[in-house]
Amino acid sequence: MTTGPVRPTLEESPSFLKAEHISVRYGETVALNDVTLHIPTNRVTVLIGPSGCGKSTTLRCINALVKTSSGHIDYGDASIQAMSETDLRRNMGYAIQSVGLMPHMTVEENVDLVPRLLGWKRSERTERVSRLLKLVRLDPQVYRNKYPHELSGGEAQRVGVARALGADPPVLLMDEPFGAVDPLTREQLQDEFIRIQRQLKKTVVFVTHDIDEAVRLADYLVIMKDGMIVQADTPEQILAAPANEFVERFLGPDRSLKRLSLFTADHCCLEQVVSGTGKPSEAQLPKGSNRCYWQVDADGKPIMGFTWIHNRIIERPITSSTHTVQPYSSMKECMSAILSLGMPATAVVDDDGRLYGEVRFETIQTISLS
Amino acid sequence: MYIRIYNQKVVKTTRSVDIGRCRHMSEELDSPPLTCYLHRIGETPVETERTEQAFALPMGEHVGQFESRLNFHRKLAAIVLLVFAVSFFFPFFFARENRISAEIPGGIAELALLPTLLLLLPPTMILLYALIRNSRRSEWLLSFAGTLGLLAPLAVLAYVGPRVVSTLGPFARYSPGSGMYLYLTAVAIVYLMKARIRIGDYIGLAVALAVVLALGHQGSFNRLGILLEARNFGTRLSREILAHIRITGISIGISVLVGIPLALVTFQSRRMRKLVFPLLNVLQTIPGIALFGLLIAPLAALSQAFPQLREWGIKGIGNTPAIIALSMYALYPIIRYSFTAISSIDASVVLAAQGMGMSSGQVWRIVRFPLATPGILHGIRVALVQTIGNATLAKLIGGDGLGVLVFEGLGQASVDMVLLGMLLIIALTVAADRIFQILITVLTPVSLRREGA
Ligand SMILES: Nc1ncnc2c1ncn2[C@@H]1O[C@H](COP(=O)(O)OP(=O)(O)OP(=O)(O)O)[C@@H](O)[C@H]1O
Ligand SMILES: [Mg+2]
Repeated sequence: MTTGPVRPTLEESPSFLKAEHISVRYGETVALNDVTLHIPTNRVTVLIGPSGCGKSTTLRCINALVKTSSGHIDYGDASIQAMSETDLRRNMGYAIQSVGLMPHMTVEENVDLVPRLLGWKRSERTERVSRLLKLVRLDPQVYRNKYPHELSGGEAQRVGVARALGADPPVLLMDEPFGAVDPLTREQLQDEFIRIQRQLKKTVVFVTHDIDEAVRLADYLVIMKDGMIVQADTPEQILAAPANEFVERFLGPDRSLKRLSLFTADHCCLEQVVSGTGKPSEAQLPKGSNRCYWQVDADGKPIMGFTWIHNRIIERPITSSTHTVQPYSSMKECMSAILSLGMPATAVVDDDGRLYGEVRFETIQTISLS
Repeated sequence: MYIRIYNQKVVKTTRSVDIGRCRHMSEELDSPPLTCYLHRIGETPVETERTEQAFALPMGEHVGQFESRLNFHRKLAAIVLLVFAVSFFFPFFFARENRISAEIPGGIAELALLPTLLLLLPPTMILLYALIRNSRRSEWLLSFAGTLGLLAPLAVLAYVGPRVVSTLGPFARYSPGSGMYLYLTAVAIVYLMKARIRIGDYIGLAVALAVVLALGHQGSFNRLGILLEARNFGTRLSREILAHIRITGISIGISVLVGIPLALVTFQSRRMRKLVFPLLNVLQTIPGIALFGLLIAPLAALSQAFPQLREWGIKGIGNTPAIIALSMYALYPIIRYSFTAISSIDASVVLAAQGMGMSSGQVWRIVRFPLATPGILHGIRVALVQTIGNATLAKLIGGDGLGVLVFEGLGQASVDMVLLGMLLIIALTVAADRIFQILITVLTPVSLRREGA
C-alpha cells in the first residue's frame, strides 16, 4: 500500500521563469507591489486571490504584455526585457480571461492561429486542431466550422484553451480558463488537465477563483492579496499551515475535506480486489469480514457490490457513474462514492468501465490523519 | 421564467411568455417558424418547440420590442391611409402650353373612371390590411398595394398625355403634381412596412417597369416635361452624368487615400487625435459654397505662379477646386467611421492576438483590418452619398456635372429641367448606395454580417 506524498516535492523543480521584485502601476493604482515569484519548471503554479489582487497582471508581466515599473523577470538566463516580445510570447500559450476569440474566424482558424504564425505544415495543423478540440471536450465535427458568436461562454472558453495549447508551447499561462464552464464539464476538464499535465509536464501558471480547483491542480499554490503574495507553498503545506487568518478564511471551513482532493485514487490507495462473475463464495467474502466483493459482468464491469454489515450480507447494485470512481478521481470523490453506494469501499474502474481496484474508507481515514 | 428564442439567441426576456405566444408573434411578424428553448434560470435549457427555420430578426430583440413593432405597423398603416387621402386633395399633374408658360393644375376629378378606380385600389387594400392584420396572408395585401401603387400613377400619366396635347396644342407638356408625389410617398411607406422584400414584390416591380417601357415605347409619355428636357439636352446629358460620376469618384478616391492612413495615425497617436478631429469639425462647419469659393483665390494664384499647373487642369475655377473641396468634405465621414471602426474592436481580441505573439503588423493585418473593414466601408458609403449631392455645387465655380442642369434650369425658370437634374442625382445616389451595400456585404467577414446589417 502506498500512502506517501502524491506529488514530487518542489525541491526537485528548478525554475527558469523568475519574477524578481516586480511592481506594476496603472497610473495611481498599484497593481503589483514588489512581487517575487519563482515558477517551478514542469509544474503547475496556481495563483489565487480576491478580485483585483493582481493575478492577471502577473500573467501579463510574464509574457511582457504589461511593462513592470521596477524589478525584472528572467526567462532562462536572459531577462525578458532583453528578449524579442514575439519570440517570448510564441513560447507561451496564453488563454486570456476574457477569451478574446477572433470573431471573424471559425473555431478551427482560431485554434490554428499560432501554428499558422509559426508556419507549420497544413496537414499537420488540421490533425492538431481535431486533437486539441477533443482534448477540451468539443466535438471537432460539430465545432470546427462554427464562429465564436455561435458558441456559449463555456464553449468559447474551451476554444480559448485549445488555442493556447495550439503550438505545444513549453509554458502555459491560463487566466481562469474554466471560469464559465459548468461544474460537470469543469471537473472533466480538470481531470483531462491533470492527465495531460502528467504526460507533457508543461510549466503552467494557472489563475483561478475556485479554491477547490486550485487545490486540485496546484503543485505550487500562490495566494495573493492587494498586489502582494501572502503565502506561496505546496497546497499540502498551505492547507496544513495557513500563514495567517486571511489565508485561513480563504481556504474555507472544510479544509480537511479539501485536503482529500489532493490525493488521487491511483497514487495512494488502490487495493487488491476480490471479484467474480457470480455471487461471492464463503472464501471470497468470509462471514463478518469488513471487506467487499465485486460482482462483474462478462466485460469485467462491476454490477454489484457485496459486504457484511450487522451480520448480514448486503448487496448494492451499481447503477450510476457516481457509484464508482476512476484512477484519476480524487479522494474526495472516492469518499462521495463510498457514501452514495453505502459500502465500506468504492470500486475503481478504468476508462472502459472495467473493474480495476478499490479504495477503502479506512485508507482515506488514514490519509486524512497523516 | 426565462426564454430564449433560438436563432442562436434571438430573444431573451425575463418576463413570462409561453410558446403559443411566441408562435403567434412569429406569425404576426411574418417570420418563419421559430425554435424556442424554455428554461428556468440555472437549469439546462429544455427544447420545447422546434421547427425547421430560424427567426429572421436581429439578435437580442426583446419581446416588448416585438409588440411595439406590431403596434407600430398599425400606426404606419394609418399614416399611409392619411397620406393617400391628403394626396387626393392636391393636383395630380400640371399642364403647360409651352416650356415656360403658367402651370394649369389638374386633380383626380378630371380623370376618367378607370384611372380613378385604379388610384383608389391601393388605399383600399391598406385599409383591409389594417383591419385583418393578424394573418400571414395580409402581407400579400401589402405586396399588391405596393405594385398597384406604382402602376396607378403611371396609368394616370399615360392617360393625361394625349389629352393635354388635344386641349393645349402641339407644344403642350405636363408634369406630375404634388398630389402624385404624396401618393408615391404613401406607396414608399407601404414598401417600408414590409418585413422583407420578396420575390412577388420583385415581380411587381418588374411588371411596373415593363408597363413603363411599353407605354413609353408607344409614346404615351412623350409630352412629359422632363422627358422633353432630356431630349433637348441630347448627348450633353450623358456627358454631364459622366462628369458628375467622375468628379465624385476622384474626390472620394483622394479622400480615401488620405483619410484612411490619417485615421490609422490618429488612432495610434493621441496628439494627432487632438489635432485632427477639431480641424475636421471646423472644416465640416464651413458651408459648401463658401468652401468652394474660398478655394478660387489660392488656386488661381497658384496657377498664375506656375503656368505648368494650368495644363493639368489646376485653375481657380472649374473642376479642380470642386474636387479639392469635395474631398475635404468627404474626409470627415471617412476618418470618423474608420477611427470608430478601429477603436471599437474588442480590446480582449487585440490583447489575445498580441498575447499569442503577433507582431504589430500582424495584429493590423490579421485582426484589426478585417474587423474594421465594414465600418470603414460604411464611412466611404456615407461620404459617397454626401459627395454625389454636393457635387451639384461644382457648377457654381464653373465645374461640370448634373449641377449644370439644376442651375441652368433655375436660370431659365424651367421647373422640368431642374427636376430632371434632381431626379438624375437621386438616381445616382440610390444606385451608388445600393452598389456599396452589396460591396459591404461581400467584403464583411461572414460571421460579422448579421450584426453589421
Ligand atoms: N489596464 C488597466 N488600467 C488601469 N488599471 C488596471 C488595468 N488593468 C488592471 N488594473 C487594475 O489593477 C489591479 C489588478 O488587476 P488584475 O486584472 O491583475 O486583477 P485580477 O487579480 O486578475 O482580478 P480578477 O480576479 O477580477 O480577474 C486592479 O485593481 C485593476 O483595477
Ligand atoms: Mg483577472
